[in-house]
Amino acid sequence: MRMWLLPIFLLLEMALFAVVSGNPLPGSATYWQSYFGDLLAHSAPILLLGFAMTLVLMTGGIDLSVGSMVALIACVMSSFQGGTHFWWTALPVGLLLGLTLGLVNGVLIARFDVPPIIATLGTMIFYRGLCFVLMGDLEKSPFVDVPGYEWFGTFSGAVVLTAILFLAGGQYFLRSRWRREILMIGGNRIAARYAAIPVERRLIQTYVLVGLLAFVAALAFTARNSSVSASSLSGLELQVIVAVVLGGTRVQGGSGSLLGTFFGVLLIAVLDEGLRGAAIWGAKNLPFKISHLEYVLLGLLLLAGVWASNKMKGRATE
Amino acid sequence: MSAMFSRMTRPTRRRLLFLAAANLCLAGCIAFLLKEGASFANVLQRTFPEIAPICLAGFALTGIIYAGGIDLSIASVITLAGTIFGVAATRWGFPPWAAFITCAGAAWLLMTLNGWIISISRFPALIVTLAGLPLYRGLALVAADTGVPNFSGNITVPGAAYHFPGNSIPGLILGIGFIAALLLENYGRHPRLWLALGNSEEACRLLGLSPARILRNAFSVGGLFLGLAALVYVTRVQSIEPARMALGFELQVIAAVILGGTNIFGGEGSYLGTFLGALFLYLTSQVLVYAGASPYIQEAITGGIILAVIGVDCALHRRAKLMEELA
Repeated sequence: MRMWLLPIFLLLEMALFAVVSGNPLPGSATYWQSYFGDLLAHSAPILLLGFAMTLVLMTGGIDLSVGSMVALIACVMSSFQGGTHFWWTALPVGLLLGLTLGLVNGVLIARFDVPPIIATLGTMIFYRGLCFVLMGDLEKSPFVDVPGYEWFGTFSGAVVLTAILFLAGGQYFLRSRWRREILMIGGNRIAARYAAIPVERRLIQTYVLVGLLAFVAALAFTARNSSVSASSLSGLELQVIVAVVLGGTRVQGGSGSLLGTFFGVLLIAVLDEGLRGAAIWGAKNLPFKISHLEYVLLGLLLLAGVWASNKMKGRATE
Repeated sequence: MSAMFSRMTRPTRRRLLFLAAANLCLAGCIAFLLKEGASFANVLQRTFPEIAPICLAGFALTGIIYAGGIDLSIASVITLAGTIFGVAATRWGFPPWAAFITCAGAAWLLMTLNGWIISISRFPALIVTLAGLPLYRGLALVAADTGVPNFSGNITVPGAAYHFPGNSIPGLILGIGFIAALLLENYGRHPRLWLALGNSEEACRLLGLSPARILRNAFSVGGLFLGLAALVYVTRVQSIEPARMALGFELQVIAAVILGGTNIFGGEGSYLGTFLGALFLYLTSQVLVYAGASPYIQEAITGGIILAVIGVDCALHRRAKLMEELA
């Protein structure tokens, strides 16, 4: 997809929802401060997972288990006591867990050759099951008692987290040999093997990286919501995938861009926020709850995104 | 019948043998674990109605996986069909038989639609049906909101007549579906075409067969089985809850199909295996119940078993696939 189209779509979408829900139009200083800042802090987990998912889609894979992964990491961290020592007990455990969960996905996909979508559909249900084993019907919130922890959920925290990843990681990534290798794996796996790229190792690295980013996303999520239950964040994976595909990454692998993902996530976040804001308008004018429309729109947007990126790809090769 | 087994590949036959033995072992475990006073005949009697939805949906998916496709949206399709059934029964005042036809027909139509979208757009089946997953569930919610006044999250369909297929004759419906599947596999022309497509799309094209048409056909015939599955599933539950109905059902069905020896990449498998796979999953969960495991742990263990089986299965197929890639 042409990159310059995405910001235009974003502005159009904002304008549409501004009319429908009575939000202020973009432009004024208060608008950027309140609406956009809140939006960014709120969508930080999706943004982080979106970067991870972009890499996974580049390799021609997919990861449906991201939502369950974040939930499981958050659940395990929430079973620790709050307080200063939370920093050096729960966080390392969460980090290690994230890496392990990613490794399980990676080994299933690279070593056992399970199709990525089946493997991660399985781990999605399995990790969610583990959440329920761990939490039952409880809802825990030790995060509020940890000094300094809520910073991850604030605007500045979200900006710093994503900026570090996006600028530092993204800059390294853009120039790295690693990027070209995973793109080649996605484009043609057999050719990649003939080109002496360690396909299995690269795939496992990618999925472990997803685990790592899931841990960071869990930090951002728990700091903002301050409590977690076994069923939190279900359905997140779909939002992430739709955002990434809207950003122009091909689901068949072989191409993708982090900047596109950034705009895709914003599109989804504005949609989410806008539909919530439009509840009053919807109740007046529509026979159904407007929030239910989000599922429908997500499905349609996924199809539209795939269509658009295929179209562009076709034009490029002709 | 002997023709049926000789047509199967050797791994499929071996898998059937393994499943038959494993199912007998599990049944033995249950008989051993039964408390005083509980009869084993009761357990067996309950088995077939219980596995009917998974089994029938499995038959639907088997043909599609034969052809190298997949449908992840079956749970949402069942939900949407169920919601339409609920609205038809409560709001439009359909008599039971008409509501049943509406339910099964809606499921068949949606699956056929999936097949059309995939064959026309040429997107991967995974992605199209992944998009169908939220789409159909969202449509179900919208339909329930619009169709039912004061919709509060679930639709309760009163009247025992509306629950007849799910409560009284699920075993019979499963029997009919099973026999139909076996007849289709043994005497039908279509499953051979699906297998051919799953084995090599290129070879199909060179033979003068149309891959797109074969794929649509697989989805459309699968839709018939899914219609039966939706009918049993929907009429069995007391109230239809569009937001949560059948969540995670697709994985159980896929697991049953893969467990039954059907190759996830297409071109190999059997309907009989799907049946035995569904039976295996059910008996495993029953053994856990009789062994006294808590429901949460049960879910995790069943999930683990499914993952392990699929993982091992793909690992076993791996060498052949690698050789094929290098050839």
